[in-house]
Order: sequence, then structure tokens, then C-alpha cells
Amino acid sequence: MNALGSLVYDSSVTQAYRLDAFPCAPELLAEMILSPDERGHWTSMRAVDKRRKEWLLGRAVAKEAVRLLLARELNLHLAPAEIEIVPDPYGRPLVSVAPPLRVATVHQPSISIAHSHGTAVALAVLDPEAQVGIDVESMTGRREDFEAIAFSPDERCLLAALPLDLRREWALRMWCAKEAVGKALGRGLSAGLRAFHILRIDPAGGEIEVELRDSALGQCPPLRGKFLNVYTARESNFVFAAIIHQQGAVRMRPSRQDILDYLLQKMGELTEDWDYPDPVRPESRLFTELGFESLDAVVLCTAIQEHYQTPMPFAELLAEIGQHQRDLSIDELTDFVNTHLGGPKGADSTRRVQ
Amino acid sequence: MPIMTESEVFDKFAQIVAKSLRIDVSQIAPDTHLTDLGAESLDLIEITMETETQFHIFLPDKSVLETAVEVFGPGVLERDGYLTGEGKQLLLRRMPDADAQAFAGEVAVRDLQHYFLRVDTWVRMIQGLAQYTPTECASCGGPMATSMGFRMKCAKCGQEITLRSGEEFNREWVREYYDREYRPQAAVSFTRPACL
Repeated sequence: MNALGSLVYDSSVTQAYRLDAFPCAPELLAEMILSPDERGHWTSMRAVDKRRKEWLLGRAVAKEAVRLLLARELNLHLAPAEIEIVPDPYGRPLVSVAPPLRVATVHQPSISIAHSHGTAVALAVLDPEAQVGIDVESMTGRREDFEAIAFSPDERCLLAALPLDLRREWALRMWCAKEAVGKALGRGLSAGLRAFHILRIDPAGGEIEVELRDSALGQCPPLRGKFLNVYTARESNFVFAAIIHQQGAVRMRPSRQDILDYLLQKMGELTEDWDYPDPVRPESRLFTELGFESLDAVVLCTAIQEHYQTPMPFAELLAEIGQHQRDLSIDELTDFVNTHLGGPKGADSTRRVQ
Repeated sequence: MPIMTESEVFDKFAQIVAKSLRIDVSQIAPDTHLTDLGAESLDLIEITMETETQFHIFLPDKSVLETAVEVFGPGVLERDGYLTGEGKQLLLRRMPDADAQAFAGEVAVRDLQHYFLRVDTWVRMIQGLAQYTPTECASCGGPMATSMGFRMKCAKCGQEITLRSGEEFNREWVREYYDREYRPQAAVSFTRPACL
């Protein structure tokens, strides 16, 4: 999941578990992590062993993703059994966290769960309005010709243009992308496979563009004329796809404003016990105004790379600043980070949507 | 095509499922759910392909409810994830052997998934579609053989036909139901579905 982890950030957590790494007997795990209602469902499941175990693994991984997310973002520490996951009438999993006494309300994070061949993955996003979808498929034991039924002639052309050794993997990535979009919209692939049309694939970056058609548009009219960007990745024998769709816009990378907010918050933390008369502002300059020293700059740069899980050429930036004896404002730093996260330049470019 | 009995279709379909999921055929009963047997989404695709090849049919790629919602327009058969009275009526008509009791209370769309994934639901769908697949050529009476995908070819005179899709049959059935059962009612109550 590291491969996906670096693509999906921004107040989200992705998590993956494997069946062969079950920490204890499934019955014991069920006792520990499930709510009373969930345990009722688990006990009454008539499915084969593999299916029951994967269901449990899916719950475990989703609860862990929500737990990590709430701890990191809201400093809220919950036990897995306090995070209940119930399907809505269409079958989409909804999180239901009972607010602890000291907190008035908790926004319920949005989640998506998927499992395949003994691996379960979950994606949790803090924004309760976000529509999130994740899918995973195993590369082993698939019929070569499933493409004939899963894809339209146009979509098969996209595959045919790829080098032979990539086709199988990309057929699965395209399948996962359709599933992830179906899950994000909450209705699965019920509108039919043709209703989730793949317009473009980017073998270098792993992105897949999906456009809704026919009855999928009927289920989700605001998406007419838009395309959805799905991030896909391969790790060992599994292929993953994920999408976070927020407020009518497709956003996976943070906006410039998100980056600025994060940097201001981070600067606030770093300089908490230093002695400043003024609050940290976008135009504050690191060295002359905030009293940064080179070591502080290195700490900040490391924290930024860690946060966005993306390496950026900070060494060159700092060297250039040293050479020209100039300072760096938080605004400029924001632009630098924004550029290296692949976002467009400029203050009002926020969303990567058509 | 010589009409296959329900149990003949079941036996053949159970073999397909068992082979695809690598399980023993004895685990499969008419009321088993494919997902309970461990079928994942792509397994369902593989089962669909194999079924289409072996029975010479073209399965629909969405449920009859989904097709019906397209014909009736939004909010008529299903609202906020629950079946309306009209929605229940249509499905009960379509599936005469469905448990009417189960349709008495609130029915969520997700509960229907269980029904659509039952082995006997598939068996009846296969049986229904297979009767439209010709065994003899319409012009010369020669034997028909599958050629490419959903096309069949007469082994004697070479005439080719394209099989009709299950989706088309579903749509036809829904339209007919709409004209016969729903529109007369709608005319009386002066409500029309939004799509028309």
C-alpha cells in the first residue's frame, strides 16, 4: 500500500492487512474489534470461511484507518469497537462513531473497503461529504480474456496501445478504477460496466480518467461532462485503485490553500515556545523575521516531505537562498511545495478539475 | 434449442461456478449466494463469460430493477435506497416465486443484491434467455454454431445471426409492464414519471 499511500493524502488514511497475518483466531479478533451489532452480523454470516475471514479483515482494516485518522487529525483516541461500520440502504459502508463525552459532535469520516485474495484495504477521509472509493484485485489466477466482457472496444484500444507486458496489469487497473468510482458514488457498478467509461490512462503516473454515462449519470447528475481521476498502483501481486471525490470537484492533490494552511500550522508548532511578538503570517520571512536557523529549516523541510510523502529538492532551494543571501517567505515556500506536488502555479488555482 | 429443465440448467451452471471458484460442486445449492461462496467481482465476470459461452446466451449487465428505473424515471420505483410500493409490485411480478413475505416491510436496494446473486435467480435467468437461442437455421434448417462472441452461424448455409442481449429482453419486458400495468394507473392518478 505504500505505492498508493503516496498518492492519497490530504486528511486521509489508507491501510492494508493480509489474511495470513491475522493477529489471532478470527473469533477472538471479532470479539475484540466488532460492535455488538457487527458481531451479530458476523455470527449469522452463512458464507464460506474465506469470505467470512475477508469480511472480518475488511472491518479490521477500515476501523484501523478511521482510528488512525481520528487520532492524527482530531486527537481523538477510540477503540475499534467504538467505531461502528453500517451499510446504507444502497450498501455503501458508513462510519458511526459515538462522540465521547467531552466532544459535542464528531463528523463521521467517509470510508471505503475492498478485499481480494486474502488482502483487505481501506481508505478513510475526514470530510464527511467526500465520496471515497478503493478497490484491490489480485494479479494471479485471472482469465486473460475477461477484458472482452469488462471493457468496450474503445477501452480495449487503450489496452492494445500498451506494451504487451503491461496489458494484464493495466486491464486490472482499469477494472479497479471502475469499481473504485462505483463505490465512491455509492451504488457500485449497478448501472452496468459500460456506464463507467475509461477515457484516458496514464501509464507513467498511474492515473485513470473515468467518465460517467447512461444510468450512472442518472444516479449522479452533477457529474455530467466531468471526468473522475482515479489513482492506481501496483504492489507485488496486487493492483489498487483509489479516488476521493469532494464537493463536486475531484481532488486528490492538496490545493495551494491547503498547503499554506498546513505550513502556517506547522510553523506555529515549530515556533510555539520561541519568543515572537507577531503571529506567523503568509508573508512572514523565515530567517530574518522568524529567526530561523539552517537547522530549523532542515527540520521544517523534512516535516513537509514526510507530510506529503513526496521528495522535493529542498537542498537546492536552501543552497540557492544561501548563495543569493535572500530570505524565504511562507508564501514562497507554499509555491515551491505546490509546484513540486504537481499543482498548477498561482494563488487561485485550487482544483484540478475541468 | 431443446428446452432445458431447471435442474439441467442448475447442474450445468453449478459446474461452471464450482470450476471458476475452485470449490466442490456439492457446496452449491439453489439458495446459495455466489458471494457467500467467495466469489469476488471478477469471479462474477468470469462466471458470466463461461455461462454465456456454454449456454449460447447474452446475459444482461445490470439488474432488471436498474433497467426499470431507466424506463420509469428516478424516484418512482426506488426512493433514497428503499423500494416504493410500485417498485415492489414490479419486482414481485417479475419474480413470481420471490418470497412475498420478504417484500412486506421496508426493502432496501442492498437487500436485493442478495436476491440477484442467488444461484436459482441465475438459473431462471439462463433458462429464460436460452429459449430464444436458435438451434436451427431459420432459412435452411441447418445446425447453428457459435461463431464470434454473441454471433451464431449456420453450419450448412453460413447465414449469421446476432443473439439478442438479456438487457434488451429486460427492457422489453419492463416497457410492456409499464404500458400494461403502470400507465393506466398513472393516468387515473394524473401522475407521470419524470422521464416522460
